[in-house]
Amino acid sequence: MAASSVPLHNVGGCFSYPRREREYHHGRGWSPPPRARYPFRPINASVETPFPLFQPPPLQQSPSQLEPADPDFYKIGYVRSMRAYGIEFKEGPDGFGVYASKDVEPLRRARVIMEIPLELMLTIRQKQPWMFFPDVVPIGHPIFDIINSTNPETDWDLRLACLLLYAFDRDDNFWQLYGDFLPSADECTSLLLATEDDLSELQDPGLASTMRNKQQRALEFWEKNWHSGVPLKIKRLARDAERFIWAVSIAQSRCINMQVRIGALVQDANMLIPYADMLNHSFQPNCFLHWRFKDRMVEVMINAGQRIKKGDEMTINYLNGQQNHMLMQRYGFSSAVNPWDLIPFSGNAHIHLDSFLSVFNISGLPEEYYHNSQLADNGDNFVDGAVIAAARTLPTWSDGDVPPIPSIERKAVKELQEECRQMLAQFPTTSEQDQKFLDSMPEARRTLGTAIKCRLHRKLFMEKVIQALDIYQERILF
Amino acid sequence: MRTCWEIRLQSLTGSFPAGILQVRVGLNKPSKRANLFPCIKCEKKEEPFEHVSVERPPYYSYMDSTSGQLEPASGARASIPGEEYWPEGTASRVRAARAPEPTGTSEGSPSYGKTPGSRRKKYKTAAAAESSQVSVEPSDPVVPEIIEEIMEDPKDFSSDYVIYQTKFEESEEAGYELDKKFGRPHPFIDPKVKKPMEEPLTSEELWWNWRKPEKEQWSRWQRRRPDVETVFLKAMAETGQVKLYDEHPTLTETSLYRARRHLFKEERLKAEQERLERIGPMAYYSEWVKAWKRDTSRNAIQKHFEETGEDENTQLIEMFCHQTDREYRIMMGTDTRIRRDPLAMRMREDQIKQIWGGLPDEVIDYRGPDFHEPTPNMLAHLKEHGKIISREELEKILAKEKTEELELLQITDMDDAMARAVDIGENEEDEEDNEADTEEEEEKITRNWSVLKSTPQLKKSKAKPKKEDPMSLEEAVEDSENLTDFLMDFEEDE
Repeated sequence: MAASSVPLHNVGGCFSYPRREREYHHGRGWSPPPRARYPFRPINASVETPFPLFQPPPLQQSPSQLEPADPDFYKIGYVRSMRAYGIEFKEGPDGFGVYASKDVEPLRRARVIMEIPLELMLTIRQKQPWMFFPDVVPIGHPIFDIINSTNPETDWDLRLACLLLYAFDRDDNFWQLYGDFLPSADECTSLLLATEDDLSELQDPGLASTMRNKQQRALEFWEKNWHSGVPLKIKRLARDAERFIWAVSIAQSRCINMQVRIGALVQDANMLIPYADMLNHSFQPNCFLHWRFKDRMVEVMINAGQRIKKGDEMTINYLNGQQNHMLMQRYGFSSAVNPWDLIPFSGNAHIHLDSFLSVFNISGLPEEYYHNSQLADNGDNFVDGAVIAAARTLPTWSDGDVPPIPSIERKAVKELQEECRQMLAQFPTTSEQDQKFLDSMPEARRTLGTAIKCRLHRKLFMEKVIQALDIYQERILF
Repeated sequence: MRTCWEIRLQSLTGSFPAGILQVRVGLNKPSKRANLFPCIKCEKKEEPFEHVSVERPPYYSYMDSTSGQLEPASGARASIPGEEYWPEGTASRVRAARAPEPTGTSEGSPSYGKTPGSRRKKYKTAAAAESSQVSVEPSDPVVPEIIEEIMEDPKDFSSDYVIYQTKFEESEEAGYELDKKFGRPHPFIDPKVKKPMEEPLTSEELWWNWRKPEKEQWSRWQRRRPDVETVFLKAMAETGQVKLYDEHPTLTETSLYRARRHLFKEERLKAEQERLERIGPMAYYSEWVKAWKRDTSRNAIQKHFEETGEDENTQLIEMFCHQTDREYRIMMGTDTRIRRDPLAMRMREDQIKQIWGGLPDEVIDYRGPDFHEPTPNMLAHLKEHGKIISREELEKILAKEKTEELELLQITDMDDAMARAVDIGENEEDEEDNEADTEEEEEKITRNWSVLKSTPQLKKSKAKPKKEDPMSLEEAVEDSENLTDFLMDFEEDE
């Protein structure tokens, strides 16, 4: 997986980190998100499904299904001076999640909820030379040469996977204990572990071929470096290709990219951070990551001014500004309300941007559209990330004060809707069929479920766009 | 602001020398342990004891003005400042230390890397999920309680009593540990635990051996600048004269080859000298005299000497008369126009530029801003500007100076007494009289602070008009514009 294709945001340690994304329960009628409480926060989609490992939960997911994680999970970190303040780790059917255990008043300062020391992490620098801290340096170990032979820019996930496997082998390493809480190969939703059927279920040939390439690449790497003649030290790290590919998928999906400063050196590092990787993804996160230079700790901090109720989930933005297929490639989940999703419209139909935005009360700059709930009534729950994505991806025109011509406008809307319907028709299945499919087989393989959900989300997104255009037509004032 | 009163006593573990009562300051609940261990109490009971302290405080405790709380009279420390005054980082450390320890035991056990994901709760099938939910939910309320519980137990353990343990455990060491305990001679490392020494890595395996420095370094100062020797050596390696271990020569290699070069040079010089001695100067230097075709062997020279009586030196001179200018320069090696080709190397332009910054054959352009002017005839140019004078003029001036000196000397002989007189400088007439000896007088006038008067040049120019027309004091006063004329003008430049 080429890191260059995925622009990872290094915002001084504040990085988006997808563990899972939350989506709305479609069947039920959403409970309004706690948007109204903080009106000025740029609200993109709040589709939040708590699933600690990029697995959208089944629709019956309710807070009562969550139970606290194994007490050892926090204990092994606590003993090594990792701390968690006011949060709990809970496990649901889709994996781990971090939840608040008490209310938090909105303060002006960001509050720390977790701090993880550097010694627990597996880090590797994104550029040459290979500098790493702490000393998981496998100096005498032949894995050193394997890692050294890779190109750090493009093969960062392979390097991290090798480091992870090596850490599993070291007797005093924290990851031996923590690895028990990582998702196993059958729980992992990354498409690297998907079979051919799963990839074909995606109904997205581009994404399928990309994943195939990635699988091939990981496999080739394993075959090259774990051939039968390698010493036992290496062989026992990954006896079979599945373990290695599982390690690569873990590395890809749980890697955090941060710019850390250690001493005088500022480096871009790929890090596997133990407890922070249990945070899930949201397009409206309430936490962010911060590197504390003084004692070399990663802090998970609540956004300043964010009010948190007991039981709220702590989320992070994994990857900002990317479409669903990027999220799928890297993290193995998708979202129906990704505000950065795109639909490739062709044709000349354009709608008036300003009227579209005003109909749905979306304000902000194009980079940061958000639903301005102060303007809207509180009962309006229609606008979510999909509508914002629509505002971005629909072909629009805007020319100062020039008003839209009604007839042309309506025609344009109809054309766009027609195009959306055509695109939907090109899929072999409809979204209802997908939904039924999902419901009918709850014991499906994770990767299969993820693939189906991916295409489901895409269709839902398009349907939402059509719906939005309908509402736009109704509400537009001429 | 709180004052921390909690004293946590931790149990001491370790091996104690046998035979001594083990004193255990324990985190023991008094209720449990009081039965087992006797408490040491005061012998005398119920006797009012006297305070025999040196200073008896009038109170045991008081209301502290800073904290607003009760404080003991003795043993109180200075109040701990609040969080605003803590050094940075203290707040986070305190918070980390105050974080409650996780309680609760887990059912699973770690697999140590063998089976990742083994301690997660698996919700794979709906049926399994339901069943697990049923079983899990009853324990649900229990488990959160445990986790959310703040650690109260350790606080209860703080006890005021020191408990002495009369029974002591048998120490279970033997052999090495026993030796260590008793101080008997023993090896440093426990032979049971000792690991065999590993072979040290060779320098190739060591990853911090001298490899090429990475291109990307922390600062530009870490870049090694090219050294003359290094560049030389690199060029030599490129032309294949020298074999280096790697692309760039190391310091060792550089110094090694420099030494070798030096030795070769010495060798060669010695060889040349030896050749000179061997074949004789005529034969040796005839290399640089192409026009000398005669036989230059020692015998021939000898014969020539016998014939003509010219000794070797004369013959040499004869030979050198046939040498051309160019050959001479080549022989002496002093002409930069003739390319000397040291056999060591021919370096590329960029290599030369690296060390000497520029090409050896470069023609430096000295043209100035007024290049377009034709180069003037320097002599005439300088003469015109008065920078140089001709010899005759110089002699004239010298002669004049001489005569002046003579005159001066004559005059001063006469007016010696007068000349010695110190001129205070009040009267202008003095200057007129002593115009001839102005120079000498000026030097003797030390009390006179006037710059004007002590600078003969200035004086001369001013005194000249007065010389023509010596005025009396009254005339001078009339002549002057105002009295300021007689003021000393220190700043005025005449």
